[in-house]
Parts: sequence; structure tokens; C-alpha cells
Amino acid sequence: MKTLNEQISEVISEEPVTLFMKGTPQMVMCGNSQRALQALHAAGAPVTTVDILPDPRIRQELSAISGWPTIPQVFVKGELLGGADITEELVESGELQRKLDDALGADRSQDVKVVSLELI
Amino acid sequence: MPAMESDAIRALLEQAFPRADRIDVEDRTGGGDHFQVTVVSAAFDGLSLIDQHRRVNDALAAPFADGSIHELRIKTKGTG
Repeated sequence: MKTLNEQISEVISEEPVTLFMKGTPQMVMCGNSQRALQALHAAGAPVTTVDILPDPRIRQELSAISGWPTIPQVFVKGELLGGADITEELVESGELQRKLDDALGADRSQDVKVVSLELI
Repeated sequence: MPAMESDAIRALLEQAFPRADRIDVEDRTGGGDHFQVTVVSAAFDGLSLIDQHRRVNDALAAPFADGSIHELRIKTKGTG
């Protein structure tokens, strides 16, 4: 079985857009996770979400990987975009839409996918 | 979790950005743990938004680590 660190790194590198959040798109447990999710929807992004709440180690491992202290965290094509503030700002300026157009094409899927990590 | 005064946050930011044009700290809920900070400084010139926010997060690493900041909203701007 893969370590938590390996699982997180794999999701980040394999999914086009990953949102580490508190809760799920169906049940968002934090206002900032909601802001990030809404901004990604507004940008027409496909979103793969990972709930960090099931185990505190998820957040610890994630922050160790990203060097970013807070949740939510948005990754695009393996790269940390930022938290809710940056995501909102880049959607308002249109920069994220351009980035997604370049990375995934204008007629990209906007599917929402939820990934659960395996906890030992 | 110890609550934190806006002034203490401001002092940390002033230390990290001594020549900032503007530093605003707002206690969003009055509870001393949800803050909105705005920093305008030439220190951000040429940095990407994420690196600008990293500088602010770094300046406030201690109150983050001990849990006194529960939520932080950041707005940064260079002067260029």
C-alpha cells in the first residue's frame, strides 16, 4: 500500500485540477473551501477534490509537500496555484481561465470527482 | 486556542515588510482568530501572487503554528 505522501503526490500530479478541501462538494465544511470550489466552477475547471478532514495526517503531509500552511489548496497540473484568495483573484482577472485553456483546452471537461485517500 | 490582537499581527507584518506602503489588518469576526490582511510593498515587485502570499504566510508562521490564527485572508500588491 502506498503511503499518504505518495497518494497525495500522485493525485496532485495526475489530476488536472485538484482541490484539497474541508468536506466534499456535496457537503462543504468550510467557507474558504466553498469559495475556492465556486471560483473553480466559475472558471469552468474540472475539479478533483480530496477531503482533508478524515485524518489530521492528510493536512500535515499535504502542507509538507506544498509548503502552504492553510486549507484549501488548489493545484493545477501538479503545481500549487494557491488558496481561496489567490484562486478567486486569478478567476476575477481571467488568468486562471487562460491557464486552463492553455493546459486543458477551451472545451475541457468540467467534471467533479472526489478522491478518497487510503488511511492505515 | 489563544486569541490574537490585530496589533500583534500588524507588528509581525511590519517586521517582515519594514518599507511597506500599506499594511492593514482586520479582525473579521472580532474573535481574534479570523483576519484579513492587506500588504502593499515593493518587496512583492516581480514576485508571482503565490510567492507574495508565501512571504505573508512566512511572516505569520508562528501564530499559525500555535493555532492562534484560525483563518487568514491575504491581499498583496507590489508597487511596480
